[in-house]
Amino acid sequence: MNRPFGSLTFTVNGERRTAAAAPGRRLSEVLREDLKLFGTKVGCDAGDCGACTVLLDGAPVCACLTPAARASGAEITTVEGISGQGANALQRSFLRHGAAQCGICTPGMLMAASALLAETPHPTRAEVEDAIGGVLCRCTGYTKIVDAICDAATVDADEAIPEPGRAVGARIERLDGRPKVVGTEVFGADYLPQGAMDVRAIRSPHHAASFTIGDTVSWAAQAPGKVQVFTAADIPGINCFGTIPPFADQPAMAASRVRLRGEAIAIVVAETATLDEIDLSSFPVTWHPEPCFVSLDTEPDAPLHETRPDNLLITGFVQTGDVDAALANTAHVASGEFETSYVEHAYIEPEAGVAWPEGHTLCIQACTQAPVMDRDDTARILGLPEEKVRIIPAAAGGGFGAKLDLSLQPLIGLAALKTGRPCRMIYSRAESMMSTTKRHPAKMTARIGCDAGGKITGMVFDGDFNTGAYASWGPTVAVRVPVHASGPYKTPAYRAKARAKHTNGPTAGAFRGFGVPQAAILQETVYDDLAEKAGLDRLAFRRLNALQDGDRSVCGQELHGVGIAACLDALRTPWHRALDRAAEFNAAGGQARRGVGIASCWYGCGNTGLPNPSTIRIGITPDGTLNIHQGATDIGQGANTVVTQIAADALGLPIAQFELIGPDTHLTPDCGKTSASRQTYITGKAALLAAQALRRDILARSNMGEDARLRLHGRTLVITDGTASHDIHLADLPENPHGYVLSAEETYDPPTEGLDENGQGKPYAVYGYGAQIAEVEVDMVLGTVKVHNMTAAHDVGRVVNPMLAEGQIEGGIAQGLGMALMEEYIPGRTENLHDYLIPTAGDMPSIESILIEVPDPEGPMGLKGLGEHVLIPTAPAILNAIRHASGARITRLPALPHRVLAAIRATR
Amino acid sequence: MRYERPETIVQATHLLAEADSNAFVLAGGTDLLVKMQSDGFEADLVVDIKSIAGMGDVVEADDTFVIGAGVPCAALGENDALVAAWPGVVEAANLIGSTQIQGRCTVVGNLCNASPAADSVPALVAAGAKAKIAGLGGTRMADVLDIPTGPGKTSLKKGEIVEAIVLDKPLARSGDAYLRFIPRTEMDIAVVGVGINLVLDEGGAVQSARIALGAVGPTVILAEDAAQALVGSKLEETALDVMAAACSAASHPIDDKRGTVEFRKQIAGVLARRAARIAFDRAGGN
Ligand code: FES
Ligand code: FES
Repeated sequence: MNRPFGSLTFTVNGERRTAAAAPGRRLSEVLREDLKLFGTKVGCDAGDCGACTVLLDGAPVCACLTPAARASGAEITTVEGISGQGANALQRSFLRHGAAQCGICTPGMLMAASALLAETPHPTRAEVEDAIGGVLCRCTGYTKIVDAICDAATVDADEAIPEPGRAVGARIERLDGRPKVVGTEVFGADYLPQGAMDVRAIRSPHHAASFTIGDTVSWAAQAPGKVQVFTAADIPGINCFGTIPPFADQPAMAASRVRLRGEAIAIVVAETATLDEIDLSSFPVTWHPEPCFVSLDTEPDAPLHETRPDNLLITGFVQTGDVDAALANTAHVASGEFETSYVEHAYIEPEAGVAWPEGHTLCIQACTQAPVMDRDDTARILGLPEEKVRIIPAAAGGGFGAKLDLSLQPLIGLAALKTGRPCRMIYSRAESMMSTTKRHPAKMTARIGCDAGGKITGMVFDGDFNTGAYASWGPTVAVRVPVHASGPYKTPAYRAKARAKHTNGPTAGAFRGFGVPQAAILQETVYDDLAEKAGLDRLAFRRLNALQDGDRSVCGQELHGVGIAACLDALRTPWHRALDRAAEFNAAGGQARRGVGIASCWYGCGNTGLPNPSTIRIGITPDGTLNIHQGATDIGQGANTVVTQIAADALGLPIAQFELIGPDTHLTPDCGKTSASRQTYITGKAALLAAQALRRDILARSNMGEDARLRLHGRTLVITDGTASHDIHLADLPENPHGYVLSAEETYDPPTEGLDENGQGKPYAVYGYGAQIAEVEVDMVLGTVKVHNMTAAHDVGRVVNPMLAEGQIEGGIAQGLGMALMEEYIPGRTENLHDYLIPTAGDMPSIESILIEVPDPEGPMGLKGLGEHVLIPTAPAILNAIRHASGARITRLPALPHRVLAAIRATR
Repeated sequence: MRYERPETIVQATHLLAEADSNAFVLAGGTDLLVKMQSDGFEADLVVDIKSIAGMGDVVEADDTFVIGAGVPCAALGENDALVAAWPGVVEAANLIGSTQIQGRCTVVGNLCNASPAADSVPALVAAGAKAKIAGLGGTRMADVLDIPTGPGKTSLKKGEIVEAIVLDKPLARSGDAYLRFIPRTEMDIAVVGVGINLVLDEGGAVQSARIALGAVGPTVILAEDAAQALVGSKLEETALDVMAAACSAASHPIDDKRGTVEFRKQIAGVLARRAARIAFDRAGGN
């Protein structure tokens, strides 16, 4: 289809362009590959995500579904075309409102919005939702995007730059936002070095099979150009990786047996044009399918991994008090069971990256959440010393946990090593969905008791988690779940067990919350039953049992800075208002019923009882440049911005003077992985310590007191304290090996203690808390559920940037809503974004965020993590609201209309 | 692969008739480009019909509307006369895909792609639409109902192209409606779709009815018993009950992740009730 066919002339962003294009080529391909206009993104190639939206003669179209031939003679406008010299009013509005998180959906959103605004300069929210209905965003929950589009006509005043000491708490634009809105951000697929070849993988169509690869040499020889094939036999190092080294079990390419559908067995490397001509389905391989099982419903006869009999990867366990006695002698006991499904991360950017040799170093620029882990594992697989691999994280178009694991890094690394040329790989949507990790499907049971007054007396929890073919983060899920399954409630007697078990399903790994969202669904729905039995209002019941400062958790840890009570208190008024609203609506009768639900969360930030340090370096060069080496990958959540806000205030210089360096394993110290809601807290604390150390050094050099003011003027650092003033002439100071005349580097590792055999210890140093109210409407005849409002109160200890915090809440709610109502990944059947549904703008409720500040004694400036907390209460709050509205007791996610309807029937 | 852009429908039919294998018509391209990406899919010939005169027009004559094969669905909503005459057909066409797809996808493409869940087809069938088919031997007319013969299959013969959809002007006191059921708010594939067209008598009772069900069988289903149940009624509950039950009975859906058999059958009845009310209102009933 891509054989050149004459040429095609059209106008792009006002310029006449000619491209050699086969008529069936997609416009998106011509724009990106031929014209190098990488601002137009490709998320699905099937019209489902809208990331490729451009204007064709002024009308928005999916460039991926527009044959290049149809663009002939037309005027095309891309994001580059609206950017001109800088950001236009709409783009500035996106920045001002925090409408771009990871930014991968932003160009498509901007183009869809531009078409609307050209006709309707002051649109209503409904008009905006309609216009962007075909553009998916997985990060923002759409709220801020709609805000930004509605507000595009407002002329913005120049943003006031917060004074030193005022950066923390300020609603400032993200520091790395501009490239995201003007279309110049470089995501994994957007860098194409000179002479780069493309890499495609051959993947298993079977869930389980052994295989033999045939004559690849003759196969490759039939291609119209040079084609090289590499298999497991070509891997120079140890063909085994895993995010948790003792459990490492996954090959970069399978050698003789595959354990999941989509597992790679070979890579094919060639020029793009050659690859386009090859039918990869003719690759010479003979499959011998084996019996397989993808869910926990059927037990296999043989273990997937020889070392793990019964396919049991690990069991997590926490126990305190005598729970059997407690439940035997308590006033009320409620029990429940729940089943959840595989959930796909569905970031809009499929995995992509490029590798190239640079001297003796292998450079890999690809999407990731964990650059140092990528470096170490890739080096081991490729048989290289760690320092010979350099990982440069590309801007990540969403991650949510799945980009913590290696994906294409060893494949492109191998290709670059073997060919000596830059090699690029871009996963198709199907490939991304098939081969990368998912949220663990869980089958759980729980029994919880309370006394006559409603105080919790004990809880038993048991869960099986389908961890899929390889270990990935299964051990983390199995350990985190029993630690958190009590919820943020005082539970004196407790026994919780979680098993991670292998199947031939997709590998289940990290996904926002590491299993805690699944456990919270069960605990919070059973709490509603208990509240009813105890005759208490559901919020009052939770408030009665909320953990307090100084209480011990189920792990025996004494807790401080506990904010759950404050969150529930903040929700009391909204709760009663919502109940009144629902009652009033229902009084009118009809087929629609409204209901209100509430649920809470708590979540420990950082690794569970294991070290996870971050290191930050801050330095000033002789010419007065102030650099912060920030190695935490910003996957849209805002680490670049909040870590710098903290550093700015601790150092006492304006945030606008900071230059961000990194992340890059050659340039930035290790800040660990972007997971477990740890970056704002742990890397933030490292930034705080580094900035404080630098300030101390500066003050000592100038003999000034703690309250002195710093100013950086060109090559002079001016320190003033009252009337005293001192100048440091930077150029006069000696440079250190990093090129700095003044610098500090500090490491912070949370003070935790491992868990004993009863799960007792101090698993996390800092916890965050929250609670959410859902207001829903259930169609009693169709079984559909519409979430109208969510009110979310989250204790973040100290708000660093309210706009980014709200963005996390809104995005987390969107994912929680998807998990509750529509998302179910079925291997082999939902490997695209029209069979796997994620919420669109029209599915979103209106969201009110309430930020609570109960300072944590350990967190920097009192702050706590937030990224995963936000998703945990959403699904149970929605389920509790469905139950309140309709009586339907859902025990299996997602709550699809047919399940809701069946549950409504069961109540009759 | 060969790409051709003929200027006349005769040339187009010849190209298709003479092709050895794997020939496809390119209208909006929203389905074809997706297919072309799937492994093992081969197109030897693509015939782009955009340059054929008249393909992009909606022509209103004295007693018909003729919708060319190249007319994007969005254009139907911009044609006031068509919206006034066949609001249900237009609504159905406008449910296909997002705004960005609407500008390219076509009703004829939706029909010839022969997906059981195609949104526009039940509405067209309820409206009694016909397809104007060009072939080597000239043109013929066929009921839209008879075009799809199974998922991905049509009754078109080699060399035939659906050139246009022809809708009669609606009768006095008539109204049509289309409703579909999807789990997500938008951009989803119908779990059930119902198209209804009602004609009332002078007394305001249903004189004739056509009810077509989508996504509950391998092809669109004309639910004649259900339609019969409404005749003579003013949509009293009893008539609606019989009609809904007949819709459920006529449905033969499959179990899939979007809904169970039982659920889809039931929803067919529920949606039919709601669509009937809309059509009745539009026909001026009360
Ligand atoms: S890439 Fe075009 S719609 Fe997703
Ligand atoms: S900001 Fe929309 S997908 Fe990331």
